[in-house]
Amino acid sequence: MTDASTILAKRNNGTFFAGAVLIGALVAVLTGVYGRVHDPASETTIKLFFSTTLHFKAWATTAVLVLVLMQLFGALWMYGKLPFGNAPDWVGPMHRLSGTLALLVSLPVAYHCLWSLGFNPDPGGSRRFWHSMFGCVFYGAFVTKVLVVRSKRMPSWALPVIGGVLFTTLIAIWLTSSLWFFRQFGFVV
Amino acid sequence: MLRKFVSVCEMAALIAVVVFIGMLFLNDPTAPPATPTAVVEAAGGIDGGALYGKSCAGCHGGDGSGGIGPRLAGKVVVKFPDPAAQIAVVADGRRGMPSFGTRLTEEEIAAIVEYTRTVLGS
Repeated sequence: MTDASTILAKRNNGTFFAGAVLIGALVAVLTGVYGRVHDPASETTIKLFFSTTLHFKAWATTAVLVLVLMQLFGALWMYGKLPFGNAPDWVGPMHRLSGTLALLVSLPVAYHCLWSLGFNPDPGGSRRFWHSMFGCVFYGAFVTKVLVVRSKRMPSWALPVIGGVLFTTLIAIWLTSSLWFFRQFGFVV
Repeated sequence: MLRKFVSVCEMAALIAVVVFIGMLFLNDPTAPPATPTAVVEAAGGIDGGALYGKSCAGCHGGDGSGGIGPRLAGKVVVKFPDPAAQIAVVADGRRGMPSFGTRLTEEEIAAIVEYTRTVLGS
């Protein structure tokens, strides 16, 4: 490949990544708009065997955190950043599986957040405002990551970057919801 | 085998996302009990039910059946025989319940308390 074609390919890859980020940003904004415009139902939804929906949400978000930590572990292994040598064949599928399960477990949590509670617009540094923001960013980043994973025309740094954003956002979500809940009410189910 | 299982899970997740989006738009919430005209008039024209829906229902439930906050329906009058004690809790907060004294006026808090006692509490 000539220098010119290499530069062109890199530029195209950057454009594809910018497109994926834009689509993710659109998803994040639409999520926030729904939460803001939709009248909060203020009803309990799924709670399974937990005392209340909020107990369920606190633990489900913690489960998502564990799955996302597994994602990080798998990603570091596949990128050769762990001292275990090359990642075995099962690490890739397990990485995909943990990500898929994280999405599945997060959906009923997000459903209660969006449908029942809505987006909290108070920008006065409140926990609920920042939790609302991080929640929207999380699904936007998730969409971007799926697009980056599925495309072969992305810069090599795109996947670690968007994966890092997704991981950091989930940590922020957990800190502003589950950790707050556990500190307020204890580790109860 | 594992890859096939993961693919099935990913397909299930995709379907779950579609169901999730559909439920966001199609699931109608149960409307909270409306505030009777007499209760609104007694509260100086303030609709305590509407305020309850915005500020309280998220924790106590739209129908007062409880959530993260305690159940109010059928209990609140027994727990607070004196409305002033209930107003104080709403205004000042208690344990996990935030203070509404700076977010709502005294009249609005009184209207919400009246709503919970007459409409939900009975």
